[in-house]
Amino acid sequence: MSFDPDLFESMRLELRRGSLVLAVLACLRTERYGYTLRQALAADGLEMEESTLYPLLRRLESQGLLDSEWREEEKRKKRFYRLSPAGVSMLAALTDEWRGINASLDKIL
Amino acid sequence: MDMIDRYLAAVAAQLPQDERADITAELRDLILSRFEAKEEELGRALTEDEQEAILREIGHPLVVAARYRKGPDSLVGPELFPYWLFGVKAGLLVLLVVQAIGLFLNLVAGPSDAGQSIAHAFHGFFWSGLTLIGAATLAAAIFEHYGVRPKWMTQWRVRDLGAFGLSDPSTWGAAMGASASTAPKPPAAAWKPARKSWPGADHAFSFIAIGIFALWWVGVLHFPGLVRIGLRGEDAVITAAPIWATLFFPILIYALIQMSIHLDGVFRPQGARLRALAEIGVAIGGLWLTYVIFQAGHWFTLTVGDDSARIAGDWVMLSFDTLRTLGDGTRDLVGVASTLSVVMVWVLAISAISLVFKIFGAAWRLVRP
Repeated sequence: MSFDPDLFESMRLELRRGSLVLAVLACLRTERYGYTLRQALAADGLEMEESTLYPLLRRLESQGLLDSEWREEEKRKKRFYRLSPAGVSMLAALTDEWRGINASLDKIL
Repeated sequence: MDMIDRYLAAVAAQLPQDERADITAELRDLILSRFEAKEEELGRALTEDEQEAILREIGHPLVVAARYRKGPDSLVGPELFPYWLFGVKAGLLVLLVVQAIGLFLNLVAGPSDAGQSIAHAFHGFFWSGLTLIGAATLAAAIFEHYGVRPKWMTQWRVRDLGAFGLSDPSTWGAAMGASASTAPKPPAAAWKPARKSWPGADHAFSFIAIGIFALWWVGVLHFPGLVRIGLRGEDAVITAAPIWATLFFPILIYALIQMSIHLDGVFRPQGARLRALAEIGVAIGGLWLTYVIFQAGHWFTLTVGDDSARIAGDWVMLSFDTLRTLGDGTRDLVGVASTLSVVMVWVLAISAISLVFKIFGAAWRLVRP
């Protein structure tokens, strides 16, 4: 029996939404600016719209999980982000949580 | 101004002043990085159309700016929406009843203008309904913005949920005791008057009902059907007697105090004793108002063209004999005014009796163990 592709798309996005924060935090163990971060996520199979990624970076920074710095690179000023000490702890806790959910789902699925 | 500047100016206009420069600088770098990557891929400079296509991929300026907003991204979020819906449904039902009363008065006074009366009632219901929905949305937006979550939303109990059946018209009809009506009987789990044990829901409902009255009293809401009725094919206008202007502020204060008591009941359902004390004071005030209105003796004037008749009364009309002759009056101006006078006398009398009962009820809540 076939399923509704629109419904699938909306459920797929819902499923992905929560995991994107974890992916962004994990990627920022290495310092990056927005554009290269998006490329790194895409290279690992996690495409993310700029209009979602950039506001998310600012939110995570305002929550104290990221540090940022304006620096010049390739003749342009860019804003570089990396995990703050609080972000490192949060990433470790969320990773444990993610692995727990994953293990449970593996059993169920 | 080039394309990027125009795009960023549109985004910046939607952002808070203190963050504009920072956010647009970062977006400018993103856009330039995207342009450069595409140019590298194509091996040439981008055309304007290609640049515009990339900006479209990044998103409409309103959408992009909205993602940076710190507050809630909807007026009524999913958490508040069920409460908003209940408030709107219950409020619309109250408005429907008010309009139905106006329509009833019209139809009693002059059945020849039934079509016009129905149109008036529909018009009144439509606009007051829109105002109500706007007010409910504004209230929800304020709740959403400030993250207000009253206790009755977060610490509810199962036994308190029955009163929410009020927003279902079929349950409402049954709840009002209309067992002989054609309204379908509610399922066993639906609201029953004898078991409405959650004061919070009653207070919420009363707050909305008195709030609608207060808005009408100060002239924000209009119910055209209440002041204009059809009388033998002619337009009859009901104008208020001077007593209402004299009592404008006392009645407004009376309504506002009641609203604040019910609001307290919504947010603090457990403070019943203090509220009972306040209710006694308010009911005594209501009795005084009723007495003053009754003593004024003249309440409204019914006017058709150059003719007018007073809707007025006194203690003599407060007899069951007068009540028995209620339907016998003529359908002319004087007859209708006379009928409405009797109705008004009895409405005031019943109002006074119910206030006395209210005082006793509140006193009992105050002293019971």
